[in-house]
Amino acid sequence: MGKIAAVAGHRLSLSNLEKDLYPAYGFTKAHILEYYRRISPFILPHLQGRALTLKRYPEGVEREFFFEKRCPSHRPDWVATAEIAQTKGERLTFCLVNDLDTLIWVENLASLELHVPLARAASPATPDSLVFDLDPGEPAGILECARVSLILRDLLSQLRLASYVKTSGMKGIHVYVPLNRKATTFADTKKFSKAVAEVMQRNYPDLVTAKIAKEQRRKKVFINWSQNDAAKTMVCVYSLRAREKPFVSFTRTWEELEALAGRGDPEKFHVLPEEALRRAEKSGDLFRDLLVKKQQLPYL
Amino acid sequence: MKNRRSVPLPSKLSPKKEKEVPLQGIWSGTISFSLVAIPVQLVKAVEPGRVSFRMLHNKDYSPLLRRMVCPEEGKIIPPEEIIRGYEIGPEKYILITDEELESLSPERSRTIEIVEFIATEDLDALYYDHPYYLVPLKGGEKAYRLLVEVMRRTNKAGLAKFVLGEREYLVAVKSRSGALSLITLHYSEEILPSEDIIPKTEESEAVEKSRLKKIIKAMTANFNPDKYADERRQKIVKLLEKKAKEKAPVEAPEVEEEEGEGAVDLVAVLEESMRKVKRGR
Repeated sequence: MGKIAAVAGHRLSLSNLEKDLYPAYGFTKAHILEYYRRISPFILPHLQGRALTLKRYPEGVEREFFFEKRCPSHRPDWVATAEIAQTKGERLTFCLVNDLDTLIWVENLASLELHVPLARAASPATPDSLVFDLDPGEPAGILECARVSLILRDLLSQLRLASYVKTSGMKGIHVYVPLNRKATTFADTKKFSKAVAEVMQRNYPDLVTAKIAKEQRRKKVFINWSQNDAAKTMVCVYSLRAREKPFVSFTRTWEELEALAGRGDPEKFHVLPEEALRRAEKSGDLFRDLLVKKQQLPYL
Repeated sequence: MKNRRSVPLPSKLSPKKEKEVPLQGIWSGTISFSLVAIPVQLVKAVEPGRVSFRMLHNKDYSPLLRRMVCPEEGKIIPPEEIIRGYEIGPEKYILITDEELESLSPERSRTIEIVEFIATEDLDALYYDHPYYLVPLKGGEKAYRLLVEVMRRTNKAGLAKFVLGEREYLVAVKSRSGALSLITLHYSEEILPSEDIIPKTEESEAVEKSRLKKIIKAMTANFNPDKYADERRQKIVKLLEKKAKEKAPVEAPEVEEEEGEGAVDLVAVLEESMRKVKRGR
């Protein structure tokens, strides 16, 4: 079963390569490893230096999964790690996916989804970006999320803040505002995003809610501002998602999103690995600005 | 974080010099007619230079908020209790819901479809509503330049209908200094009649006509709007700059953070921005 692969510099024993982890679609462990290998130039900058939370599906997307924050103790000695204090005070050792070898090792553990915090491990209180996690409540869906994200873009633009958008790969949309300033804290991003969410709710009461309570979310798009927190993680851009089909959490330009919203077909929002690779290899990383663009939140 | 007073006065007062993140486009799609289709983005063409003031409380300088108040109860009404009514007479309203309004809204359009070209001089400035620029998107630059050039040479403007936000607009697309401008137009039903204005008197004499012609000729110049400036605005700006130098600004009290409320300043700014977004959509 096992296969030894030399990835970049290290020898790795890869297991269960023919196991179909997306049985309804037909996407094996080998496919997954190949996807992550080819997307690595684009995804690695976004994983670099961030405490990874593994979401492992050893028996595939239709079976049990588990979150693993602690970097497995059986890790190879070349896997970079960081110790980060948790809210309750204890310190946990996390994996840092800084290179292709580590990415392949993590994927060999069937961590189909890669979740990372908005801050780097070296500065856990300083988010590099602010996020609006748009989560639709049935029967609202990704189209309503697209509508809300376009209003958000315009609102942020009024405040001279550039924003970037990706699909969650599930039913939602994530809108990011790059910050990349040492002075900005999670307290700032939370306060700002909450105020924005509440103003959106006041102005579009039939479409938007800023309330965390589940029963308030029906038919509406929940602008989840509470993700702006040191203890929270977001699915990394270009990560696969664990649902029937291996959809990718993928970037869109605002023009594309407008066009998609105009077409009105929810299915068209989703991107499968093959298309993700084709688009990334053609257009490059549309999320690059998230790591470099410096912006200040006004009026805090 | 205490950076809300960080904008230095002079730069805030001279928007022209401000070099900040350009506004993201208001709309993007294609401009098309016959076999031509050019991908474009719509951006603002004017930024009104009006100096605006915040209303403050004269006791503690707190910036004041606008709130919807019910005159009957004298209470602030929360948004979920606010509905729309069309006034048909004193104290008589027809209620209309957001859903009803939305069902009447046109589909967002992806194209600005030019239906006819007209001579630019036929385009009556009275119809002009709001100006924008059209910026070519990737792959459209060449066709864009060609259209700009040909429209300039032929002195033609394109007429199109297109949906921006909730409304369908009649627009004129014109060639302007190497770029395309788009002007939303009033519908003819919005234009008030001018018949009553024309005085009913007999023909003027030829001598009078030629005298007036001479005066106009003597006063004729090229249109050069740079010669003129909003003098009241300039005076206000000067006064503010002088006051800013002479005296420290008054400080509004730090707003205490209530549970569930962002800082008032931020919320007020967001609400104001939201109004602008809604107007632009």
